[in-house]
Amino acid sequence: MTFREELASIKPLLESIGPYNEFPEEYNSKDAIEALLTSKVLVIGAGGLGCEILKNLALTGFKDIHVIDMDTIDISNLNRQFLFRTGDVGKSKAQVAAKFVEERIGDKQLKITPYFGKIQDKDLEYYKQFSVVICGLDSVEARRWINATLVSISESNDIIPMIDGGTEGLRGQSRVILPTISSCYECSLDLISPRTTYPVCTIANTPRLPEHCIEWASVIKWGQVFPNQKFDADNPEDVEWMYTAALSRANEFNIEGVTKSLTLGVVKNIIPAIASTNAVIAASCCNEAFKLITNSNPILDNYMTYSGDDSIFTFTFELAKKNTCSVCGVTGISIIAQNWWTLETFIEEISEKKDIQVKQPSLTTSSNYLYLRNPPHLEEITRPNLNKKLSNLINPGEEIIVTDPNLPMSLKLIVSFEGPELEPI
Amino acid sequence: MIVDKETKYDRQLRLWASTGQSNLENSHICLINATTTGCEILKNLVLPGIGEFTIIDDRKVLPIDLSGNFFLKQDDIGRNIATAVKENLIEMNYEVKGNDIIKSIESILDNDGFWDTFNVVIVSDHLSQIDQLKEILWNKKIPLLIVHTIGFYGSLQLISNEITVIETHQSSKLYDLRIDTPWPELQEFVDSFEFDKLNDIEHAHIPSIVIHIKALNNWKLNHDNHLPKSRDERLLFKKDYISALSRNIHLEGNFIESVESFHRALRVTQIPSNLQELFNDDQISDENINLSTPIFWIYIKALRNFIELNNGLLPLPGALPDMESDTESYVALKSIYREKALKDQELFYDQVIKVLKSAGRYEDEISKDSIATFCKNAQSLYVSHGSKKSFTPDQIQQLTSVTSTPDSLLEIYFAIWAYDKYLQEFKVIPSINDIETVKQVLASSLNISEKLSPTFVMVLSEILNHNTHSYHNLSSFMGGIVSQEVLKLTTAQYIPLDNVFVFDGIHSKSDKWSVN
Repeated sequence: MTFREELASIKPLLESIGPYNEFPEEYNSKDAIEALLTSKVLVIGAGGLGCEILKNLALTGFKDIHVIDMDTIDISNLNRQFLFRTGDVGKSKAQVAAKFVEERIGDKQLKITPYFGKIQDKDLEYYKQFSVVICGLDSVEARRWINATLVSISESNDIIPMIDGGTEGLRGQSRVILPTISSCYECSLDLISPRTTYPVCTIANTPRLPEHCIEWASVIKWGQVFPNQKFDADNPEDVEWMYTAALSRANEFNIEGVTKSLTLGVVKNIIPAIASTNAVIAASCCNEAFKLITNSNPILDNYMTYSGDDSIFTFTFELAKKNTCSVCGVTGISIIAQNWWTLETFIEEISEKKDIQVKQPSLTTSSNYLYLRNPPHLEEITRPNLNKKLSNLINPGEEIIVTDPNLPMSLKLIVSFEGPELEPI
Repeated sequence: MIVDKETKYDRQLRLWASTGQSNLENSHICLINATTTGCEILKNLVLPGIGEFTIIDDRKVLPIDLSGNFFLKQDDIGRNIATAVKENLIEMNYEVKGNDIIKSIESILDNDGFWDTFNVVIVSDHLSQIDQLKEILWNKKIPLLIVHTIGFYGSLQLISNEITVIETHQSSKLYDLRIDTPWPELQEFVDSFEFDKLNDIEHAHIPSIVIHIKALNNWKLNHDNHLPKSRDERLLFKKDYISALSRNIHLEGNFIESVESFHRALRVTQIPSNLQELFNDDQISDENINLSTPIFWIYIKALRNFIELNNGLLPLPGALPDMESDTESYVALKSIYREKALKDQELFYDQVIKVLKSAGRYEDEISKDSIATFCKNAQSLYVSHGSKKSFTPDQIQQLTSVTSTPDSLLEIYFAIWAYDKYLQEFKVIPSINDIETVKQVLASSLNISEKLSPTFVMVLSEILNHNTHSYHNLSSFMGGIVSQEVLKLTTAQYIPLDNVFVFDGIHSKSDKWSVN
């Protein structure tokens, strides 16, 4: 196949300038094609969205594509992750996906470089080589990490745009983040609906739903029976045990509806997924990448939501940058603490907050260590602070720096105090 | 390796369950034109396991076809395109059956029985005989989806003269609790709670439904049986009728919950207005019920009869939301709702049998499961009467209007229509050099004498500048959209598009409307 034929499906888009092109004087079709052929693109995630993204990029002229995924292929992926077959179960998603697309396209110029591992394995220099990063992830943590990394690179180097897609059932969203210029992922952390949780007292004392019985089996019973063993949702024996335990709890309380499928859904926090929605969202992301790299038309500014369960509906809006964003904002997050709070209470309270969300935080001020989890000797030294009142440890208005092993950046909190000195009864 | 279907399809079974899956596996769809967009549509249907697909296309694979299409390989050049893409698609899921027909549409069109085998027909890109096909499928009540992708734009027209959905999955209509009209067993249960005699722990675990029914009864006694209506009355109801029952409204979680969910207590149990319309439909008049009346309409007629026998109430769905409560009360309450729902299902079943028998039909046409599903969804049924028109006179006027409607994508739809019309007449793809001819074609076919609006001309110029039909991102986007509509139609779940959708990939916006 000749070069002309290979690019036939996109050439008309680049060879003439449409009326919506924002920079018609500067636009040049040769540059646009050159940019496509030479830009390095990073795809994070080779799952439902990732498979689609790799195909889309390869079929729209991109030649140097990298893909990272730490997961291996599972049978339940096959209903949508179309680059995988039954025989691939257990292999690396990134490696199998890269090979499949390369072979299918059959173009010697196309190079897809897979990395079977975590995004955290790579350093800043690695990420600096890319013109754009497209994410098809299912984890908030990974998105926060790559977002903070790209913002920090963009602060001192060229901007690396991040295009982010996500789906759930028949719904999804795509967005374009221009780090330091438009709102970043961290700016919108409070928009993410938290995972459903059930109060411990309900699970322990007054179960009513089958989900309560499953949570009881996984949160309470498992730890009692196997104190030194972590539950493995991918091990059929573990799942079978969990199901049986939940079922016997349900029978004891005359609660109906515990099934193996529900048990799996609850313990693995399964999100429904189909090929159609992934196709829509991945195509939207790649269309933005195409416009961004070629300058052929304006890009999404900056967020589009999609839902297909009741007719078809999309909503496009500009999500505003947040001043108090821990990643791209200028001021810290204001927290009002109660005078009676101990450092431990304070840590519990902030860990749950939607715009903070930390699991293993360490806290310092500009002059003192408040509580450090590592190294062990500092943990030991700072541990007594947990029981002290926070108002005795810092001054009102003082900044607290929070770090967490899951986050590449630190969070700035500005604390003021109110309320009684003693805990109300 | 043996693949367990339940494991493989787990992520989609959570959306449409085994009933939806079985409908999907019994469906046969037809794609006319093996385009990039067409292949992307089929990809998203082969993966979840649609029963069977048929591709109609008599072209051979040219090198240029490979650009943008993932389901063609180098080796396929020179082969029949329908055969090649069929093989490359089926390889993803061997549970699906694929067929190729290497013939022109012209030669098949008049073979009347041919179309009857399909549940849905999709036309991707240009088809000269589109008007005849529309007529044939309309009369057979087979949904037709027409999809175009040109440059950064896409459009979908869904043509079907009737779509009925029972399982619409409308979460806002999930619960029908009948707090304003408790049936005797429910009232008896409520009365068994003597609030004053309960200890503090028991008091803090009275289910909110019990609290709501008590509070509403008290209110009605004091207000001539009227429900709280005005804002002030509702506030008063929350404060003096719900909170007042609590021993400590800051501590008793069940009462806090009852205040927060007070709107449940004020929901009036009534027949949804769209259901009233269905009861007046011609299809269920006595003389029109016959051997070929779809089961949906048999159900509607039976539902109308049921309501007459059931004090004007629908069958109870029986679902109960979670609420603060001890296990015993909650389980008891749940079984009261379930028992009543089962009783209603029995009564409804009898009505269905009567209607079937009146039409000389038999009870083996229905199952208890489908009766239960219908009863659970009776308040959120969906029916649309589509249109085979492409647009309305008002919409044509919009093309010459000086004031354009912001966010309307009507211009894109017409630009695609005009482009296709040009293709029909001249048998070649128009480019920006043909813009005046395209305008003339449009003006003469729609009888437009005024000047076309600047917005429309801009859109037309965009589409003619960027005249590719297989820009993969747009093909894949529309492939996702169209396949999703096919999934809704074949599983008979969720609410489909009514009936035009347009996507603008430049501004990443979409629009939809119903042509009526």
